[in-house]
Amino acid sequence: MSAFSRRLFLHASGLAFLGVAARHLAALGRPRSSDDVPWKVQQVLKQLFGDRAVQHGHVQLDVPTVAADGRVVPVMIESDLPMAPDRYVKAVHLLVDNNPDIHLAEFRLTPQIGQAFVSTRIKMRMTSPVRAVVETSDGALWGAAADVRVTVNGCG
Amino acid sequence: MPVELGAARILVPASIRRGDVIDVRALVEHPMATGLFRDAQGNPIPAHFINDVSVTYGDHEAAHFVWSSGISRDPFVEFSLRADREAPLTFTWKDNKGGVFQQSVDIRFI
Repeated sequence: MSAFSRRLFLHASGLAFLGVAARHLAALGRPRSSDDVPWKVQQVLKQLFGDRAVQHGHVQLDVPTVAADGRVVPVMIESDLPMAPDRYVKAVHLLVDNNPDIHLAEFRLTPQIGQAFVSTRIKMRMTSPVRAVVETSDGALWGAAADVRVTVNGCG
Repeated sequence: MPVELGAARILVPASIRRGDVIDVRALVEHPMATGLFRDAQGNPIPAHFINDVSVTYGDHEAAHFVWSSGISRDPFVEFSLRADREAPLTFTWKDNKGGVFQQSVDIRFI
């Protein structure tokens, strides 16, 4: 290899590296949050709900901003949607983007439940968006999401 | 902390009037092992978790939960119930190894 072509190669690779680095820096500047639904989560949502879209609203999701222990993260989901015999919340789904099992739990409810409210404690492997999706008896989907920072892995 | 597998507690308010929407809390002792952890000797701990919970009020199922191993150890759940009749409230927890654990509490009006 001549000195000329080697220099050319080094210049070219240097430029390529700068290009990649610039793209990473741009990604760092953009806040990655629960607003972006990653492809793997979209697949789970598609499996659960088909092509029905999840609308924002009617769901209140209470999770800590920082969870010191990923083995026990309290989660509270509440909805102001009615629990009447003819129209009610028939299921509350809980999803965690970065867990081994994304669809963490499903709570199927009936009008007997009186109020769409569920509280439990979950495990989280790492920092991740947590999503709640509420499904009504007439098939509408309402959702909320929040980011939880996890410092101790709770999933193994 | 040793787990007494299946030991359960259900908590409902002490005084309930007909038609109240009450708070129900239930906890069952269970390891909820994900299958992803290893013990001190390095052997994998097999998955062992509750994946199905049925809540019946009288002779009707009021709620049904489908869980993964992502629910914390000694799973706790809290939800509401419209107390419109005096009847037993029964929880049945089932795990992935065929374990079935049951606990009841009577809904009584004052």
